[in-house]
Amino acid sequence: MFSQLIINALIAASIYALVAAGLGLIYSTSRFFHFAHGIVFTCGAYTMFVLNRWIGLPLIVAAVLAVPLGGLIGIGMEIVVFRPLIRRSATPLVLLLASLGIYVVLQNVVSLVFGDASQSVRAASVHEGAAVLGARLTPAQLVGILASLSLLLVLMFLLARTRWGRAIRAVMSEPDLASVSGVNVGGVVLWVAAIGSSLAAAAGMLQALDVDMTPTMGMNPLMMGVITAIIGGFRKVPGLILGAMVLGLSQQCGAWFIGSQWQDSLAFFVLLAFLVVRSYRAGGRRVATA
Amino acid sequence: MDYVLHILILVGIYVVLALSLNLLAGYTGLLSIAHAAFFGIGAYAVALMALTLGTSVWINVACAVIASGALGLVVSIPSLRIRDDYFVIVTFAFQVIVFNVLNNWVSFTGGPNGLPGIPQPVLFGWRPSTHFEFLCLVGCLAAAVFWVCRRLVTSPIGRVLRAIREDEVFVQACGKNPAAYKVVVCVISAIMAGVAGAVYAYYVSFIDPTSFTVAESIFIISIVIIGGAGNLWGPVLGALVLVTLPEVLRFLGLPSSIAANVRQVVYGALLVLCMMLRPQGLIGENVFQKNGRT
Repeated sequence: MFSQLIINALIAASIYALVAAGLGLIYSTSRFFHFAHGIVFTCGAYTMFVLNRWIGLPLIVAAVLAVPLGGLIGIGMEIVVFRPLIRRSATPLVLLLASLGIYVVLQNVVSLVFGDASQSVRAASVHEGAAVLGARLTPAQLVGILASLSLLLVLMFLLARTRWGRAIRAVMSEPDLASVSGVNVGGVVLWVAAIGSSLAAAAGMLQALDVDMTPTMGMNPLMMGVITAIIGGFRKVPGLILGAMVLGLSQQCGAWFIGSQWQDSLAFFVLLAFLVVRSYRAGGRRVATA
Repeated sequence: MDYVLHILILVGIYVVLALSLNLLAGYTGLLSIAHAAFFGIGAYAVALMALTLGTSVWINVACAVIASGALGLVVSIPSLRIRDDYFVIVTFAFQVIVFNVLNNWVSFTGGPNGLPGIPQPVLFGWRPSTHFEFLCLVGCLAAAVFWVCRRLVTSPIGRVLRAIREDEVFVQACGKNPAAYKVVVCVISAIMAGVAGAVYAYYVSFIDPTSFTVAESIFIISIVIIGGAGNLWGPVLGALVLVTLPEVLRFLGLPSSIAANVRQVVYGALLVLCMMLRPQGLIGENVFQKNGRT
């Protein structure tokens, strides 16, 4: 059973880390908690559903196409809502509230279009997972873990090794300095919105392959992504992976010892403990910019 | 007629909730997504006392006050060190934990089945049972809460609260202790929401966790912000507009299957538009912008 616990933690962590990576990128460049990230997650799953079931593309094509389309949603939000707000030097709270509003609108639009019932792109038969080290792992779960890991590695490479990643890191740490050094800050913010949202859409698509989709599916990964980003640090991908694993493991252990219905409470308890301890260690200074 | 009275009662309850959140978010600058949790704690405290012990109204309401006040105290502790968007995340955490307790601790709270059959209250021998009598009760509560808020924000305490919102270090430099003010305002705000929950529980006589979700908290925030944060009449106007708006939509002939979703779309869109076009709300102040950090 212990190996099953690790596998389950890994499945959860692969989703959390992807969501958190996008959230972290957006938080580090635009300095606000992007609640609408959760709805991009949902949209990733439903885009795949539309492409596969309504248009009739093969599942794999639909799944891959859902990722850049998620990025387009992010670009749309950035241009229509966040860019005008940032231009008026809106505070993080104003941006957070606007983002929350977008989440509510789009989640209900998804409900209106697709209904609240769960939708699936899976074939009729459900396979029992293959045995891996005494644990069960379905193909969809294996694909999820591998795809998540490779996307995160690509992101890490982009950020660390390319000129373009250097521009993003420059905007993260010193937007004004980056701007006078000739970096197009607005362009970088737009790219970050696109990449971050693509990652969220990819996570949503991967989760839907495993456990189907509902209009409210994005809320939980969003919350867990926020927690992962806060405890793992916003900018460093290895930190996020570690944070996601810590969160996934503590949730699975909690499910094992207390009961699975307390997973969310436990995750938020971990977050509260972390925030309070850290804020006291920081000696009361503002600790928002991680 | 009962239908109109029912809507007015709901408006009254949301006026109380929005006024109490306005103290915290509008005046002190602590935006909380935990207001539905305070509301729910009050409602559940009353319901559990009335159903299991059968105690009188005053004891039940006192329990609601103590329970919600205690939760307010707990929420206020992180607020001493954590500000702005991180405080939003912290209150979000409390909201989720409280909802999970209400939803999952089945042996104590009844879980998703809720608590049916809350007996009607008896106040000094008066037993409000019709819609009109409940409206009087809710109206009195809303007026009392409005009066308390007014006394608070027009007093020197209110000035300190606004100063905390604008510049906490300045408040310290003036020899005031922002921490104490934050704790007190958090507890007062939570108690007001808890009492609203108590009245709500008595009014509907059946409560379940779905009335106290994150979405409910977001709705209360929308009322305060769209009505106008940092202004006493803002939440009143906001509650009136946002609670009656879906009823207007109903008269436009929307089928009830999609009405709930359309309602949420309208609330969310109003929140986004409000942030973009009129961040001060209908009649409030632009409280989340003033500290001018970019």
